Amino acid sequence: MGAVMWIEVLSRHGDVAARERIEADEARVGRAFDNDVVVDDPHVAPHHLRIFRGEDGELVAEDLGTLNGLYPEHGARRVPRLPLAQEPGIRIGRTTLRVHDAAHAVAPEKRLTPPRAHAAWAAGLTVAMLAALLLLEWLTLTKEATANRLLLPLLEISTAVVLWSGVWALLSRLFLGQARFALQLRVAVTAFLALIAWDQLTETLSFALAWREISEYAMLGAWAILGAACYAHLVSIGPRHLRVAVGTIVALVATGALIQYANKAEARRVAGQPATLGDLRPPQFRVRPMSSVDAFLRSTEATRRKVDEARKREPEGGSALGDADAGD
Amino acid sequence: MRRVAFALAAACSACALAASAPPAPQGAPVPALSSTAERVYELARPRILQIRTLLHAAGRQTTIGSGFVVSPDGYAVTNYHVVSRFALDPKTYRLEYLAPDGTSGALQLLAIDVAHDLAVVKIDHARLPYFEFDPRALAGKLPQGERIYAMGNPLDLGFTIVEGTNNGLVGKSYEERILFSGAINPGMSGGPVTDADGRIVGINVAKRVDGEQVGVLVPARFAAALLERAHTGPPLAVDKAKEEVGRQLAAWQAEFYEALQRQGFRAASFGPYRGLESQAPWMSCWAATNGDDLPRQRVSINTTRCSSTTAVYVSDRLLTGGLELRYEYHKSIDLNAFQFSQEIAQHPGGAAYDGGRRLTAQECRDDFLAPSGAGAPALRATWCMRAYREFEGLYNVTIVALTQDRDREALLARLTMQGVSQANAAALGKRFLEAIRWAR
Repeated sequence: MGAVMWIEVLSRHGDVAARERIEADEARVGRAFDNDVVVDDPHVAPHHLRIFRGEDGELVAEDLGTLNGLYPEHGARRVPRLPLAQEPGIRIGRTTLRVHDAAHAVAPEKRLTPPRAHAAWAAGLTVAMLAALLLLEWLTLTKEATANRLLLPLLEISTAVVLWSGVWALLSRLFLGQARFALQLRVAVTAFLALIAWDQLTETLSFALAWREISEYAMLGAWAILGAACYAHLVSIGPRHLRVAVGTIVALVATGALIQYANKAEARRVAGQPATLGDLRPPQFRVRPMSSVDAFLRSTEATRRKVDEARKREPEGGSALGDADAGD
Repeated sequence: MRRVAFALAAACSACALAASAPPAPQGAPVPALSSTAERVYELARPRILQIRTLLHAAGRQTTIGSGFVVSPDGYAVTNYHVVSRFALDPKTYRLEYLAPDGTSGALQLLAIDVAHDLAVVKIDHARLPYFEFDPRALAGKLPQGERIYAMGNPLDLGFTIVEGTNNGLVGKSYEERILFSGAINPGMSGGPVTDADGRIVGINVAKRVDGEQVGVLVPARFAAALLERAHTGPPLAVDKAKEEVGRQLAAWQAEFYEALQRQGFRAASFGPYRGLESQAPWMSCWAATNGDDLPRQRVSINTTRCSSTTAVYVSDRLLTGGLELRYEYHKSIDLNAFQFSQEIAQHPGGAAYDGGRRLTAQECRDDFLAPSGAGAPALRATWCMRAYREFEGLYNVTIVALTQDRDREALLARLTMQGVSQANAAALGKRFLEAIRWAR
């Protein structure tokens, strides 16, 4: 039938170290030199494994009665035999092998990003970011307009974004072999633009709806944007253990968000909300329908109930409300 | 602003007996001042008490103050703030007196008057001589310029007598207070102030920290009235003192907001806008502008602030009874609408009063308000409040309103009320919000 199988020996980092073409229905794997595939792993038996075609023609791996046995690539349970049609990976000793039939389907061709496309995007987005920053600086400038006031923040932020991208490019160089700085810069600038937009959106909504909680808790969205940016950076590097990396990033971002939220909640519980109007925009930004003075004052009954509720709860530090100093 | 700072540290002592002191004979040469002070000091000495608040658990003093004996059966007058820790938390603190003869013992708290910062206590030591009240002071007829003598223990440095001048009643004050031109220092609280014959004309209570030799006394008649109440009424139960403080604060604010109403309001102009202003004589108003700031500002801001001169001491770090109306008229010089809104957002409109943990966390409610009639602008408004943990039905309320009719000029108005009931806050708040109108 001319059946061909490929046996790949993976390196410890997970990439293919050796690939053997086997033009037979059976192959033997082990440390001894009379095998079809020789594995240099002291935890592998001289004759460890037999790979053959079962009755239905599918590939099967079989333990030849070894000390350390046979495991699926991601499994912890030792098996005497392992069908390879679904999961082509097997582990013997400390070595991972993959066995593929010649008919094994491979992923379709990935489109090549045209040369300098990331650089063009990064440049365009950076210009957009600088323009957005400059516009915001100008819109929130209430003192004398000086070059320092307008340009210094731009310089600081640009430096920070470049440094951030540089760190990711370094990681990329380390793991992928390519720095791809333009791609990292593109991701970072996109994320920063999203942050600016999120900030403005929440502040504006907070005013338009007269709903201060929106901007009070806007930082949760900012953390999500940061998480998404890290994810994009990671995907571009494409580490072998993407799931672990993503899990770590999610955990870090969630922890950061949680700590900030806890601080906020604590401050809110102790001091409460500040007696200010919060974020302001020109009157034309109002969306919420207007109330009458009477309706507004009636609605403060709910606020009163809230603080009355709070006064029944004992403040922290026991019953003594007294501030501890005794210096009268 | 000029705020009364309470002389909290109170090591008191002092007082003079009046009855036995012979009045200076008519026509006789005025005795040298020093000799009068000497005589008053001598008379006063045996009639004063040191009043200590002790921490139960440690058995040590946490505050000391003064009091003075005013009746043969051992009643003594002091400041409420000298005994406030005990009144609010009798489980943690106890009171003790130290008589000039070295004896000491427990004190019974009989009556308090929070508004006038007075308390009547009783000692179990009936042999002390006592002070009498000056009948001229009770009738409010103490001549301005008369020499009077304040006694106490400033900064716990030792018993002193301070010679000063009676300058009549403090102007612009809601509560009746005597202006004493002499040094009152922390530690003298609760100490007596007498005339040259050693008769009580007032009680040391506070000084103004922004001036020199500006002391504030509680007139003797309030002490006499409280003493009368203590004699006739039932004594204050130890565990009911906090309730009594709450009741007096509630009554105080009810009376204050009624008085405010009685005094009437007027409309004051702020640029093209008008806002509410009280006509009460005890509101102190100040204006400020940023017009002469350098470098030149891009927004002109004119601020008017009217605050009541009221301050009721409740406990450590908790003063209440304040009322403030503040207006800032902002007009853009060369800012666009967006920049102008950012400029206003940077103006919280004044620091919030801080009551620490004795108040709950602040809760706020935001809204847009439709014009309250022809000639009124739309408003962006915020109502913020904190409740007094120890006293039911009392709140600190702040209302902030910003006009929304124009995008390059606006009136930022702020009303702050301390220790107010929800009903009174809402009533004044309604007046305040509806009074914001166009001037034309």
